[in-house]
Amino acid sequence: MPTLTADAFKTSFLPTWCPGCGDFGIWMSLKDALAKLGIGPDDGLLVYGIGCHGNMYDWMRIYDFAGLHGRALPVAQGAKLANHTLPVVVISGDGDCLGEGGNHFIHAAKRNPDVTVIIHDNQVYGLTTGQASPTAKAGFQTKSTPEGVTDEPINPLTLALTAGATFVARGFAGDIPGLSKIMAEAIKHKGFSVVDVLQPCVTFDKVHTYMWYRQRLYTLESSGYVPDTRLHAMEKAMEWGDKIPVGIFYREDKPTSEDREPALAGGPLVSLPLTVPNLDALLAEFI
Amino acid sequence: MAETVTWKIGGEAGFGIMSAGIMLARAFSRLGYHTFATNEYPSLIRGGHNLITVRIATKRFEAMHREVHILVALNAETVTLHRDELSEGAIVVYDPNDQEWQALDFPKPVHLVAIPFKTIVTQKKAEPVMRNTVALGATVALLGAPLDVLSTVISDQFSKKGGTVITGNVEIARAGYDLVKKDAAVLSVCHLDPAEKSEPLLMINGSEAVGVGAVRGGLKFAAIYPMTPINSLITFLADHAKSLGIVYKQPEDEIAGINMAIGASVAGARSMVATSGGGFALMVEGLSLAGMVEAPLVIDMGMRVGPATGMPTWTEQGELLFVVRAGHGEFARIVLAPGDAGEAYKETVRAFQLADTFQTPVFVLTDKYINESQWCVPKSVFTGDIVIDRGNVADPSTLPAEGAYPRYRADSPDGVSARTFPGTKHGQYFINSYEHDDVGHATEDPAKRIAMVEKRKRKLAAIEREAPLPVVYGDEKAEITFLTWGSTKGPVLEALEMADYTIGGKKANMVHFTWVYPLPAGKVAKLLGGKKRIIDVEQNATAQFASLLREATGIEIQEKLLKFDGRPFYPEEILEKVKVKTIFR
Repeated sequence: MPTLTADAFKTSFLPTWCPGCGDFGIWMSLKDALAKLGIGPDDGLLVYGIGCHGNMYDWMRIYDFAGLHGRALPVAQGAKLANHTLPVVVISGDGDCLGEGGNHFIHAAKRNPDVTVIIHDNQVYGLTTGQASPTAKAGFQTKSTPEGVTDEPINPLTLALTAGATFVARGFAGDIPGLSKIMAEAIKHKGFSVVDVLQPCVTFDKVHTYMWYRQRLYTLESSGYVPDTRLHAMEKAMEWGDKIPVGIFYREDKPTSEDREPALAGGPLVSLPLTVPNLDALLAEFI
Repeated sequence: MAETVTWKIGGEAGFGIMSAGIMLARAFSRLGYHTFATNEYPSLIRGGHNLITVRIATKRFEAMHREVHILVALNAETVTLHRDELSEGAIVVYDPNDQEWQALDFPKPVHLVAIPFKTIVTQKKAEPVMRNTVALGATVALLGAPLDVLSTVISDQFSKKGGTVITGNVEIARAGYDLVKKDAAVLSVCHLDPAEKSEPLLMINGSEAVGVGAVRGGLKFAAIYPMTPINSLITFLADHAKSLGIVYKQPEDEIAGINMAIGASVAGARSMVATSGGGFALMVEGLSLAGMVEAPLVIDMGMRVGPATGMPTWTEQGELLFVVRAGHGEFARIVLAPGDAGEAYKETVRAFQLADTFQTPVFVLTDKYINESQWCVPKSVFTGDIVIDRGNVADPSTLPAEGAYPRYRADSPDGVSARTFPGTKHGQYFINSYEHDDVGHATEDPAKRIAMVEKRKRKLAAIEREAPLPVVYGDEKAEITFLTWGSTKGPVLEALEMADYTIGGKKANMVHFTWVYPLPAGKVAKLLGGKKRIIDVEQNATAQFASLLREATGIEIQEKLLKFDGRPFYPEEILEKVKVKTIFR
């Protein structure tokens, strides 16, 4: 069997992201992670929202569902319940996942579907030319907040942790080997896995540059952190400032939403018979 | 002796009003009587005025009559609110603990039967809610039937709760039964003629009938957020998920619901959602997505009174134009509007087939009257053979190894192209909410855009060719034609039966549409053209179907009989209104 490489996902389209965009690092890490896991173009489903992240599908050859803004997670959960043997990964952004789709994010976390969500977190709405996103930090000046952001930012990690996600991690778009490793772990995890990816927007954010992040990031692994306690994870996830941790914050084995569906014990829904096994018994309930 | 009896029970929410009506209807349908039960209630769990009306007849009928023959009042308010509906010689069963009623309190002569419901449940140390069972026992006696009729229904109803509960209920029903037998034995006015028992009859509400149609139609996945009037579909699907091998998921909102169903559909499972107007408003964005990615999808839209929260537990046909027009952009859809539970079953089976055939959303447009009324339907309606055809799905062995798969090929005459399911070897394509080319890559190229718009538009033409004609009830050449769609079928048909299909000396018929969009314009125009008098009957304020009909055929209906107070039509009021030559507008 030929080894799967990142080249397998090539299409005739070239990326339209700005040169230097953090999306490139996320895309390359994802291709690398999927190839390492042996998930080829026919083997998995990627579901995208709308935003700069969402344009990735055109240059990412795999079963792709480019859905509506904010609605990638419900599509992914429906597809997963229909065919739970299919690896399903959601590619989303901070606005897509935490603004328009915030309710879906919370409820996906509490259900624990075997779905991975990768959040492109750059604090801005890039595709609509640079308004503040839900993760924008206080004081950050954008096109929609000329005096600086006044609201509190959403912390995707603490939100995921309190809502019940069973795998919570943060990566950096400027560290492809490190990010690819986290993504592979997230996709392998059986349950709802969240990877928040810190990503500079080189066009609309002159503050949070690659250099800004590199000066502050450190890996949890190197600090001897063990990701097995939700409360410790909460504490680590709230660390932000001169030192910002990346890596796996929390990991837990728990039955998934597919595990809890009795019908799926007989195989994926798409392979089950389309007939009613005992019609007389069913109708007798109404007589 | 009577051929038909209309029975009404009222009381506060939490008094077991609904279950009493359903048990009574079931008891008599088991004997071969045709029965029907419809409920009225406010949006409350406790208090308020709850009501269920049951009609029992020796022969098949199509709707409720306005006059009530037996009124069972579990509180005084029930008498106050409904005494005007009583027929001459009607029986009023009431609790003297609530209020003592006199003959003079009623507009027509009635028989008063005092049953101390409260005293009986206290003496028997029973739950206060069991007053409804006392009432059922009394009712069976008033109808001249043996108590056994009721005890088998009681034992089935409480089978999960065990023998003691069953015995307790039967005993307390007997108390009501014996009281009537002893004190009111002279009252034989409502004794029912015997019915002929033929094949088994189901007592089923419209939502459950949609559920049975869905699972027989190959449903595998449903995501439904709770909303009146479709909640019993949720109960049906959730209760049977294990035995039928299906998944019902409760989403966080209707937006998630429709997107989940689209995800499951694209992944290969026959999928549905159900909701009412407000929930559907949230789904509209997703509806457009289903149109764009060409996902088969069935939507049970159970209409209720709007706008906004409106009167959420009452009936209306106010969303026809909403579902026909909903969604940004242009794409094909089909709207089917069953007129009763039997049709709800059949149209749901058909909806699943059409959704796969045309790879597009299909509506089953029901309403509170259909969804929540208990209908009496012969078993054979549900047992016919069904062949499930997944429509145009690519044969995996024929897929070329190179390149992405052209799932959206735009060259077929009906606009439908062969799809693949994610995970299929060599079947990879891009499911895309953006305008796309044949493999699903985004495109803004004018020629490709035109090709895709025309592909989707050809589906609409193909669907229109498939659309059946409406069904004509009565003489095709009748001079007076009633136009109905959905749930106005029953009341109008019943009115015609009562009038022997003759109004003012002229023959009358009914043209009933269950397939309401897209209309087979040419054929409908031919059918209705040249008719002398057409009366459009709709449960809304703006005659929405008449607008659709005019748009499709150019025929403008002059007479419109519209009702929008949340209550279904009575056949009597239809007859009263059409006797005046021109009704509305």
